[in-house]
Amino acid sequence: MSKSDRGMTRRDFIRLAAYAAMGTAVGAEALAGEGPALRKRSRVVLVRDENAVTAGGEINADVIRQMMDRGVSELVGAHDPVDCWRQLVGTPKLVGIKTNAWGNLPTPAAVEQVIEQRLRDAGIAKGRIPKTDREARRKLADCDALINARPLRSHHWAGIGGCIKNYIMFAPRPGVYHPDACADLASVWSLPEAKGKTRLNILVALTPLFYGRGPHHWDPRYVWPYKGIFFSRDPVAVDALGAYLLAAKRRLELGEDKPLTPAPHIRMAEVRHHLGVADLKRIDLVKVGWEKDALI
Amino acid sequence: MSGCKQQPMELHQLLPREFSGWEAAGEGVVYDRDTLFDYIDGGAELYLAYDFRRMLACRFERDGHPAIVADVFDMGSSEEAFGVFSTERQDPEAGIGQGSEYAVGLLRFWRGRFFVSVWAEEETAATADAVRELAARIAKAIEPPGPPPQLLHLLPSEGLADTRVRYFHDHLSLNLYYFLADENILGLSERTEAVLAPYETAKGTMHLLLVRYPTAEEAGRGLEGFLAAYLPEADESGAARVESGSWVAAQGLGDVVMVAFDAPSRGQAHELLSAVREKLKEQTP
Repeated sequence: MSKSDRGMTRRDFIRLAAYAAMGTAVGAEALAGEGPALRKRSRVVLVRDENAVTAGGEINADVIRQMMDRGVSELVGAHDPVDCWRQLVGTPKLVGIKTNAWGNLPTPAAVEQVIEQRLRDAGIAKGRIPKTDREARRKLADCDALINARPLRSHHWAGIGGCIKNYIMFAPRPGVYHPDACADLASVWSLPEAKGKTRLNILVALTPLFYGRGPHHWDPRYVWPYKGIFFSRDPVAVDALGAYLLAAKRRLELGEDKPLTPAPHIRMAEVRHHLGVADLKRIDLVKVGWEKDALI
Repeated sequence: MSGCKQQPMELHQLLPREFSGWEAAGEGVVYDRDTLFDYIDGGAELYLAYDFRRMLACRFERDGHPAIVADVFDMGSSEEAFGVFSTERQDPEAGIGQGSEYAVGLLRFWRGRFFVSVWAEEETAATADAVRELAARIAKAIEPPGPPPQLLHLLPSEGLADTRVRYFHDHLSLNLYYFLADENILGLSERTEAVLAPYETAKGTMHLLLVRYPTAEEAGRGLEGFLAAYLPEADESGAARVESGSWVAAQGLGDVVMVAFDAPSRGQAHELLSAVREKLKEQTP
């Protein structure tokens, strides 16, 4: 059994951090385990724009549109964003948008609007683009392609709320996935309603929440205007980077006293469920735009 | 709110129907261990890791103001109520109940067997006052008060950062506060009590972990498991220097296992554990 299957200790993480500081690849390999399936790489695009969010916290829809087009173009490798969307989704009958309706930090309307617009530009009829969060099982089950878009935030039990977790609403009983800090959350992606359908994951980091408190896990002191959006075909890779970003922000703002809640479901998504790449060493991150305080 | 059940009178009686212009929007909703996920999906595990019995959620509204939400958790005992309160404690004492804190519209407190959260959907001058008033009314209605966990009395006071003491039961909870290992190497469970306490030193923060097991035999197995998985090179005193350059020391006494993490020296680790042993001996009849 590999180390990643039997688990890690605090001392293992310290050792790996030391290896990483020395510039060796030993740490990353040990974290990810071994095996040919784990050696693949994933591409993630991070687009940031200083003007994406105003000083008052309002989202600038025009800037978001530009960021979305840039992100998709960089990911697909073509200039025309409409062509990129066509390449991403193909010619499906029904393209669902899995959004997130969490009251304190929902998927921004500006992001949803760009997705819908670009899908229509790519030839999908308006009535063939259902969008929902809580009713995913009912409204998105018949889709043959999905776009997964949600904000990045800390999550008390799972560590982070990211693209992997966003599919929990495809589960008939979401609570079933909570044991062991949601370690097997990625298995939701194997449900027939979702399996193999996702064409694009958009992890919105415009105003991420890096620490939450209280039963509703919300504290506006810990929201910051990062002004970024991650794009990838791989939900595990965007979440791995999202977790890294939240951890970096916590270290910066809160020190060692409040380390990021472990998010075993991201590592298990690769090691056990083979959903994507969790190992940061095998994620090709393309950064575009505003560079200040990127932390990543 | 959905999933309404008949409300146990003791929860319902803790909330006013109105106060200072704010009115309860409906009767509130009661959730139990099976339905708590319906209310706080993802956050419910925190409460289920303790002896959570049921909770009442009620929304208060006033024209022209953001809403206020009161969540009253019956944790079964004052020790468990303290435990939930301790999990996120970080802000200054707010003077309500047996322990409280307030920041940015959120007031958390514990009293007796109840943990209570009163939260304004947006903090304004009016909601800040209303949150405090509502919390104070709820606290006044809770009788009787109750003791915090006995295990806290084993903590040496010198250097203790007491507002950051966490009380819990299982290893997943431990990992939320201080990641130790993916596997449950100490054998923690709902039957164990644990305290994690930070101590400030001139060279940084040490952490003391105390675990009380149901029996001395189980404590022995817990210590053995920890040493084998985490500190196999420990010397006869249970101490070893680890990769960070700091020292870790683990010892057992009766049904208690004590571990000092992040100690600047072997001596400081042993000094902290010795202080716990002294307190433990004082408490043992």
